[in-house]
Amino acid sequence: MKVFHYVNFALIFLFIIAVCVVEDIVVNNSLNQVKKDCYEIENQLLVSEDINTMEMSLLVDNLEYNWTNNESLLCYMVNHKSIQEIGTEISKMKSYVGSNDKDALKVSITSIKYYADNYLHFMGANVHNIL
Amino acid sequence: MLTIVVRSLIIYIIVLLVFRLMGKRQIGQMQPFELVLTLIIADLATIPMAEVSVPVLHGIIPLLTLSVLHFILTLLTKSSATFSKIVSGKPVIIINPKGLDYNAMKQLNLSTDDILSALRGCGYFSISQIQYAIMETNGKVSVMPKAEFSPATNAGLKIEEEESFIPITLVSEGKLMKENVSLAKMDMEKVLKIIKQQGGDKLKEVLILTVDKAGQSYIQFMKGEGKSFECEVKI
Repeated sequence: MKVFHYVNFALIFLFIIAVCVVEDIVVNNSLNQVKKDCYEIENQLLVSEDINTMEMSLLVDNLEYNWTNNESLLCYMVNHKSIQEIGTEISKMKSYVGSNDKDALKVSITSIKYYADNYLHFMGANVHNIL
Repeated sequence: MLTIVVRSLIIYIIVLLVFRLMGKRQIGQMQPFELVLTLIIADLATIPMAEVSVPVLHGIIPLLTLSVLHFILTLLTKSSATFSKIVSGKPVIIINPKGLDYNAMKQLNLSTDDILSALRGCGYFSISQIQYAIMETNGKVSVMPKAEFSPATNAGLKIEEEESFIPITLVSEGKLMKENVSLAKMDMEKVLKIIKQQGGDKLKEVLILTVDKAGQSYIQFMKGEGKSFECEVKI
């Protein structure tokens, strides 16, 4: 019985460690993916004046698809309210592509990158967050 | 709303498991660190229950972390007397043969009313009846009365009494307690025989049937009064 007790706590301890590791990996991968998709859109902005194009639409759709997938995974681990801004900005970006508003799209990309960096900071394990 | 219902169920089960793992101590028997953990757990459990945007994991992980911490603290307090003193404190004598220990009272932040109340809880209404009173680490007061106020015991009165045994419940509310029946080295037939001897017919008619090692038994039917009897079948 005593051994069973020890095993229980060892399993709980391992579960906690596993959740912490998985959370760190998922958060880093998801937010880095968002940043990577944003850089691709920025590169596309540099080569074309017109943003109401098939390539740009595909890139924004790709960003939305990746984020939707990652967001559902992140919701298991972080407060939903803390990560809703990126989704809002992506939906704005889709309308900016349709209306060919390049400046607004740039602002949205900058915002998303800023949010992603911020999330990485406050969701990561660092002294600031611990204290 | 369904989300909140399911979340509440999950958290309830986790809290129940955590408390089962922590042991069966009651509030009054808790050491200070156990009480602190219990209070924190109670608070933690409510957050993910009511706040849908907070993942359930945010409630589960702190609960499990605290249970692991409790396990480690328990191990340390068991293995090291010094650590136990630091975490749980040590028992303090508050009344000695000379009377109340004022320094101990100041140290524990106790008033005379608190002590008198604790003594009354132990069945003593005057400090003059007390030889020693000790404030235990869980906050309870243990009392040793003066010899003239000690309760009479068989040993003190030099009366020889037979040892009593814990009665085993064989039938409860018409149901056979199979585990207890096998513990008493009996079977269904023997139990029915006892019931019939006492004027019953079926198992369902019995509210309770107990038997102890000395053969002292007690039976009460659903309709009727309870009665004690000597059982022929000894355990």
